[in-house]
Amino acid sequence: MAKPSETGMEALHHLKSTDPPALLAPSPTLSQTARTASQHLFSCLKPYAPKSPFDQLLTDGFDAEQIWQQIDLLSQPLLSTLRRQVKHLEKHPEESKIVLKKENEFLDGERKILEEKETKRFDDDVDDDDMDMDMDEFDDEEEEEEGGRRESEKGESEDESGEMVEGKGGEGIEDKFLKIKELEEYLEEDEAREYGLDRKKKKGELKLEEEEEEEEEEEDEEEEDDDDDELDDEYEDAEENARYEDFFGAKKKTVPKRKSSLSNGSDEDSGLNDDGAVEKKGGLSTHEKQLEKLQSEIEQMEKANLEPKTWTMRGEVTAASRPKNSALEVDLDFEHNVRPAPVITEEITASIEDMIKQRIIEGRFDDIQKVSSLPSTAPKEVKQLDENKSKKGLAEVYEEEYIQKTNPAAAPISFSDEQKKEASILFKKLCLKLDALSHFHFAPKPVIEDMSIQANVPALAMEEIAPTAVSDAAMLAPEEVFSGKGDIKEEAEVTQAERKRRRAKKKRKFKAEAVKRMTKKARDNTALLNHNEGNHLSVPNGGLFS
Amino acid sequence: MLRRNIRLRREYLYRKSLEGKERVLYEKKRKIKEALAEESPFLPSSETRRPHFARKSISKMKTLQLGFACNALFTLYCLNLVPKTHIDDEYANATERDPKILLTTSRNPSAPLIQFVKELKFVFPNAERINRGGQVISEIIESCRAHDYTDIILVHEHRGVPDGLIISHLPFGPTAYFGLLNVVTRHDIKDKKAIGTMPEAYPHLILNNFKTKLGERTANILKHLFPMPKPDTKRIITFANQSDYISFRHHIYEKHGGPKSIELKEIGPRFEMRLYQIKLGTMDQSEAQIEWVIRPYMNTSKKRKFIGD
Repeated sequence: MAKPSETGMEALHHLKSTDPPALLAPSPTLSQTARTASQHLFSCLKPYAPKSPFDQLLTDGFDAEQIWQQIDLLSQPLLSTLRRQVKHLEKHPEESKIVLKKENEFLDGERKILEEKETKRFDDDVDDDDMDMDMDEFDDEEEEEEGGRRESEKGESEDESGEMVEGKGGEGIEDKFLKIKELEEYLEEDEAREYGLDRKKKKGELKLEEEEEEEEEEEDEEEEDDDDDELDDEYEDAEENARYEDFFGAKKKTVPKRKSSLSNGSDEDSGLNDDGAVEKKGGLSTHEKQLEKLQSEIEQMEKANLEPKTWTMRGEVTAASRPKNSALEVDLDFEHNVRPAPVITEEITASIEDMIKQRIIEGRFDDIQKVSSLPSTAPKEVKQLDENKSKKGLAEVYEEEYIQKTNPAAAPISFSDEQKKEASILFKKLCLKLDALSHFHFAPKPVIEDMSIQANVPALAMEEIAPTAVSDAAMLAPEEVFSGKGDIKEEAEVTQAERKRRRAKKKRKFKAEAVKRMTKKARDNTALLNHNEGNHLSVPNGGLFS
Repeated sequence: MLRRNIRLRREYLYRKSLEGKERVLYEKKRKIKEALAEESPFLPSSETRRPHFARKSISKMKTLQLGFACNALFTLYCLNLVPKTHIDDEYANATERDPKILLTTSRNPSAPLIQFVKELKFVFPNAERINRGGQVISEIIESCRAHDYTDIILVHEHRGVPDGLIISHLPFGPTAYFGLLNVVTRHDIKDKKAIGTMPEAYPHLILNNFKTKLGERTANILKHLFPMPKPDTKRIITFANQSDYISFRHHIYEKHGGPKSIELKEIGPRFEMRLYQIKLGTMDQSEAQIEWVIRPYMNTSKKRKFIGD
């Protein structure tokens, strides 16, 4: 275990050269090297701190806390002496050169490790004894460091070594450190109470300063302890119940609250609170950002609901109750129930003109038409004056008038009546014709008995004055011309007996006529004889003709 | 004059009462005519009352060939008389005389309105313009009736732009209220030489797209403002309806080349008219029956067209 100083330097260098991510995972070799390195440093510093009870750093079987305690005991008086010396050197700068040479070797390794923050802190410690400031800065640095760790896991080795130096640097703020320790313990208890986890042994999870690094180191170191099982369990528990806060330090929010409750509202706490808040805002997740946004929106809406509404949301708004010209800015949208007025474009004019031209070509206009109106009264009967000499004598005219007055039914019809009669006759004829046309059965014309004499003259002569054609048709039919009766036979047809009969008939007729003539003559003669009386001429009784 | 008015009114009311019976009779006659024209063997049996002669002929008619004879008989007696409604009755005798129009404005007219009315005086043949002065509408109408005017036209304005036209037919005739839009007057065209003088021949009329009953009525009102023209006039006045907006245009045409080439030259004012009311009395009869009024706040009025297509 106890190794010479050369290997200690090697260990330091080895630590410096390890990758920061490697430090996260617990490895026994790394823990061993860390222990040897710290031992080496301890032994380096031992000659300058005579008061420390340890000759060398005991690392076997000790946990991180114990090792820290040892380092602390050594480094605190050392720091005070260093301070004195620096002050002295300030007053007496010529001595510095001598000192520098000596110290160069010693501080070589360590100065590289020292960060800016450390020197700053030293200066602050030197200049200012204000606990608050130191605390703030300390915490700031711690938080910054830790923040840095969270963001990027580079420079782990630096941090780690820085942390180790910090432990040493913590000697300068011994009081605070102790208080920090108290705080840490209280926090552990509180969290154990709240979360129900046995975290007394685990310092690093919820503390401001020592988080992952410390855990790592603890884990590293604890693995080699005899209490491995326990710690392993704890470690495993921690793994199983790995929380958001382990990685992103969410508990910082609650921490300031608890700190405020813990202390008496000192500035330190408020400072812590502020730091906590600042630290919180910087590291918000997207979900939390959304939640915040929503919250702010809700607040806004609630506020708006409480205020009086804008004029567009109110009911009937007159011009007086809204700001000037506000109606122009608002996009008022309502349905128009009328078609908008037509804008007269070139196309519309052209279409109208085309229509007009078409109408002109067709000649189709919509002018008014004169309607021939029906006469409202019947046409007057115009009495025509007959200019011909009246055929009736005056006496007859008076006679007619008298008859009309006394007996209107028997009165002879007047001229207009005649016309009416004529009209009615014509109409009857027309009706007759139409009826005939519309009947199924033929009905002959009614015969109008009418007597007239017909002469037996050639027919054409009756119709035409200058007959163009001569016809031998006579007006009278042969039977009308024939005046005889009975059966008529021609001479050739007559038989002998008939002939004899006819001759006999003729003779008889002749005889009868002759007798008649004779008697007529005799009468005349007697008349004459009576005149003459001496005629012995007596007529023989038909001597000659018997 | 009073008695004449009373008599005219009584005649009008009597004709209005007859309207119903005459229409029924006419419908019957029309149905029979149609049946005959279609040569259907079955005549509508609902016609119980038929003229005497028709009964005789129909009872004997069996074949289709005889239908035409009956038809001839019928046309003789039907006389093609369409029974008129009392609504259009006012224009029954309007064609007998040429229209005589009085033009005037609202009170205190502005100079552009006076110019517009002067132009309108030339548009309507046989029109007279009078100054409004302080006369009351009823007085104006009474004097017009006494002087045998057929129509009165009133023009209203808004800050110099003519925006209203009221056409009132006398006596007792319908009154049509129009709103004017997009008015372009002859005075707006400053170049007097280009415009020239307005011819005063009786114009031909073109009334396009007045298809509904209301459209026919409006067309009638507008038609009877003009007298009957000669067939060969070159002056054309157009009232073209497009979605209830009536465009008024006034043209002169010339035929240069053959019959198909027509050159139109626009003269006279041009405006769009929008009918918003027709009343069955004159302007001064405020209690007259409203024949039609525009309903712009009805939800379906956007979809309907009242005058034409």
